[in-house]
Amino acid sequence: MTDCCQRHQKVPETRTWTSFLVEITTDSAIMAGHTPSPHKPRRKAKGAGGPSNLGHSISVESSGRAPSFPLAAFFWPARGSASQWEILPIILMVVGLFRWAASLWGYSGFQKPPMFGDYEAQRHWMEITTHLPITQWYFHDLQWWGLDYPPLTAYHSWLCGKIGSLIDPSWFALYKSRGVHDPNLKIFMRGTVMVSEYLIYIPAVVIFVRRFSRLSGVTSWSASISLAAILMQPGNILIDHIHFQYNTVMLGFVVASMSSMLAGRYLWSAVFFVAALGFKQMALYYAFPVFAFLLGSCFSPKINVLRFIRIALVTVIAFAILLLPFVLGAYKEWKQGIRSKPAPLPLFHGLAAYLDPKAFYYPIVEQLVQMVHRVFPFARGLFEDKVANFWCALNVVVKIKHLPAELLQRMSLIATLASIIPPNLILLVRPRKDLLPLAFATTAWGFFLFSYQVHEKSVLLPLAPMTLLLAGSQGLSKEIRAWVGFANILGCWTMFPLLQRVDLRVPYAVLTLLWAYLLGLPPTSLSVYTLDGQASFKKIVTALIHGAFYLAMAMWHVLELNLQPPSDKPDLWVVANVGVGAAGFALCYLWCFSRLVLQSDILPQALAGKRSKAKTN
Amino acid sequence: MGEIYPTLAQCAVVAAAFKILLFPAYKSTDFEVHRNWLAITNSLPLWEWYYEKTSEWTLDYPPFFAYFEWIMSQVAKLADPAMLRVRNLEYASWETVYFQRLTVIITELLLVYALQLFVDSSHGTSKRAAQAAAFSILLSPGLLIIDHIHFQYNGCMYGILIWSLILARKKSTLLWSGLLFAALLCMKHIYLYLAPAYFVFLLRAYCLSPKSIFRIQFLNCVKLGGGIAAIFGVAFGPFALKGQIPQILSRLFPFSRGLCHAYWAPNVWAIYSFVDRVLIVLAPRIGLSVKSSALQSVTRGLVGDTAFAVLPDITPQVCFASTLIFQVIPLVRLFGQPTWDTFIGAVTLCGYASFLFGWHVHEKAILLVIIPFSLIALRDRRYLGAFRPLAVAGHVSLFPLLFTPAEFPIKTAYTIFWLILFLMAFDRLAPASPRPRFFLFDRFSTLYITVSIPLILYCSLLHGIIFGRSYEFLPLMFTSSYSAIGVVGSWVGFLVVYFTS
Repeated sequence: MTDCCQRHQKVPETRTWTSFLVEITTDSAIMAGHTPSPHKPRRKAKGAGGPSNLGHSISVESSGRAPSFPLAAFFWPARGSASQWEILPIILMVVGLFRWAASLWGYSGFQKPPMFGDYEAQRHWMEITTHLPITQWYFHDLQWWGLDYPPLTAYHSWLCGKIGSLIDPSWFALYKSRGVHDPNLKIFMRGTVMVSEYLIYIPAVVIFVRRFSRLSGVTSWSASISLAAILMQPGNILIDHIHFQYNTVMLGFVVASMSSMLAGRYLWSAVFFVAALGFKQMALYYAFPVFAFLLGSCFSPKINVLRFIRIALVTVIAFAILLLPFVLGAYKEWKQGIRSKPAPLPLFHGLAAYLDPKAFYYPIVEQLVQMVHRVFPFARGLFEDKVANFWCALNVVVKIKHLPAELLQRMSLIATLASIIPPNLILLVRPRKDLLPLAFATTAWGFFLFSYQVHEKSVLLPLAPMTLLLAGSQGLSKEIRAWVGFANILGCWTMFPLLQRVDLRVPYAVLTLLWAYLLGLPPTSLSVYTLDGQASFKKIVTALIHGAFYLAMAMWHVLELNLQPPSDKPDLWVVANVGVGAAGFALCYLWCFSRLVLQSDILPQALAGKRSKAKTN
Repeated sequence: MGEIYPTLAQCAVVAAAFKILLFPAYKSTDFEVHRNWLAITNSLPLWEWYYEKTSEWTLDYPPFFAYFEWIMSQVAKLADPAMLRVRNLEYASWETVYFQRLTVIITELLLVYALQLFVDSSHGTSKRAAQAAAFSILLSPGLLIIDHIHFQYNGCMYGILIWSLILARKKSTLLWSGLLFAALLCMKHIYLYLAPAYFVFLLRAYCLSPKSIFRIQFLNCVKLGGGIAAIFGVAFGPFALKGQIPQILSRLFPFSRGLCHAYWAPNVWAIYSFVDRVLIVLAPRIGLSVKSSALQSVTRGLVGDTAFAVLPDITPQVCFASTLIFQVIPLVRLFGQPTWDTFIGAVTLCGYASFLFGWHVHEKAILLVIIPFSLIALRDRRYLGAFRPLAVAGHVSLFPLLFTPAEFPIKTAYTIFWLILFLMAFDRLAPASPRPRFFLFDRFSTLYITVSIPLILYCSLLHGIIFGRSYEFLPLMFTSSYSAIGVVGSWVGFLVVYFTS
């Protein structure tokens, strides 16, 4: 199907005005051939719509083949005729409807005292940011969902809290509102997720898909399909709109940053990435490729020191602006003579020796150190819950949890670096725009698999750039659909234990199966693995491996639904989930990395020549 | 020409996914009504079905629907037996909700099947148009709002109606069309409104010779008459044996209800009430007398039993007579020209007449007009011109059915999505008419559709901001008057199209 799309591809820059006119007229002739001209002319024009048009339309009809997966079928009537500006609003409305319908389900921690869940955390931050002075935000009652996200989340909470208080102040009343589950508050909170996503993530993805598909020479029709597929990604909907979080805001900033890189606006890309980091520290997963690409583009094709300085400067300024409210807040309080109780710094204890606790800068330093302390909880263990990453899976085989924490930290650091340095080196040497999603995905997979303190929801981070591959060259081909689909479905599956804790089996099943159906993936269809043309070793191996994983997932669901785990191993199902998930994600890492290597043409010519055969398949 | 993409099945899968996600959405008392019917039919003997009144939501659909509930209750046992107890009022465990919501989705497959038949029965260039029309019905916001949120089983029953209409397309299946319609009548009696069109069409096309109306085809008459009698016998026979028919009729036709339903269905009487309301203000200036007793009721807006302050009151007889008159007019033409297209037009016009002039019309009944009309809306641009205001008005008038904030984005976004998608697609697919179009009518419909945007904005947002909770009848009155103008306008437009094509 994709080759058929590429055949229709036009190069807008090179076409002349006359060729444009010719194109328009033939387009309208095709349309007229499809259906007899719908508008009745006021005056009868005789002889319009002669047999020549008809001949043209027949050739167009016969060249069209059947769509190869259902999502393409839905866009089938829009081939050629409809403009992107007609399709885009419809896509945005449909994905919005699915999001809102999904949000009717319960959120995490609904009526689950004493601590409730992520929903309560976000609500509580709106409560404290609107009621307390800024200097208290990172200090206030840390036992009850103390703020542990970076400042931009705090500002976002403040804004949402202010708006919500206009509607009903009791939602965010200090202390008294803890654990409220007013149905109207739920609607408001869902609304904030929705609006934030439509203001940040969705425009970013729309623009990214446009730029990336143009860069890769993909038609706007295929780009629309991939846009719909990306926006229907089940993981994001499940976590943000059902479970409740604002991941898409952070992901949106990251996508905006990538999209600015595509457009060559490096300063903007730095600003957007600072915003992503400022919203959720998890964006650090992407810090290496951002750094590698921006640095690489300062040195190749030619050295551009000025650009380097400007990027560095803008990044520093952006961070400064991000922190400025806290600095000003602390300074103001110092000036007014409000002294917080002298407490030792939570981190960097050595620093205290050089600081004067009475000086004006001390509260500021204290403020910032506390923020770092809250945002990066170094004190926690290697892994908390059962997460489908390498360490958790390894722990099933060898009990590593009892090893000294320092050794574990060092092991984790070494493994993470070993997994992320190669892809980032490639990006540094070859800062090519078409490599961005692959490099982002590979690095994020490396972090997810090997780093410290991973949460099962973090799988959204590698999934986001990997799913963006759908918009690239050959993005809707069987191979990419198979792998992107595999990663997403496996990702949702590893989040299932998290979701079923709050009875979200139904939306999990619906959204995941719907996406699999739309993209023609297992368990709804095996079409991505059918061998057309010559069978290659690689295709067969992919089909076998994926098949085994899909089978394992299905079996797991059957077992989990029907059998209680044995009493001495109450976590058996979760452990099995973790093991299978980690193995699958490791494969995703390897696939992304190998594709990055191949696509970057970094291998020596002799080796690449051997590989090129595999690549064309 | 091969398959047209996307296929109905593909569309149905995606729509079903969306509908399952709507499981936790708001559900009206109709949900409890149907749960109660499940309980009644499952736990009581047949003879008590139409007498049972523990719940205020007594069984008031004809027997086939009761049988249908009985069949479903056999499966419901497996889901949650507690929902089948008559005394378990307002029972809504999650198993009950999942089960009942799922039955709506599954029985709607009948609609998908009927629509597939409709697409298959069209040929050549009109096949694409038929496919588009089928999608518009399958994805209809009316069905989504009424069936999958508000809760009813219209999808299944409109499926039967469309199936019956498609069977009427071929001479050889005319008999089955009539019998199927008779069965549908025994499921929900609202379809009686369409019965005159069926009667005239079957009489002319099936019972009388095509060559002369004076030659009666006796064998056909016997087959049709016998078949219908058998169907009614199966439905009502068991009850007739026990002499329960008067009781059933009193349940099916509660004439004690008022002219306008709780909300104003957008029909002629809504315009009438609106004019009356305006006249209350104007009456002292132009010297009309105002009945003070009626004032209280009218200002409430949410009228149970409407009384008019200035204009004369409307009796059921007036409604009945005007409905009949406006039904007979198109039927005369159908009798003279018994083609399938005219038949569908006549069915649509019967729906229009009963919706516009009927007694105690519910706004949900607008589907009686929209769905048959959809089947022919793409015949040419003149049909489409009449369909457009109906599509806007009919769906906007359903908005007051859902008033909870959580469902507000769904009903508005979904309706706007549907209107944009299908009005755009229909515009491309409808062929030009051989006859001149009427210039003014197209302008009217464009203007009309444009007005809907500020109206929706006002009713859903601005009114609440400006007036808060007071004057709650204002948005309802505006919505129904606006929709009434659209429905009446499209009716007049379609009458012209019907009689000139």
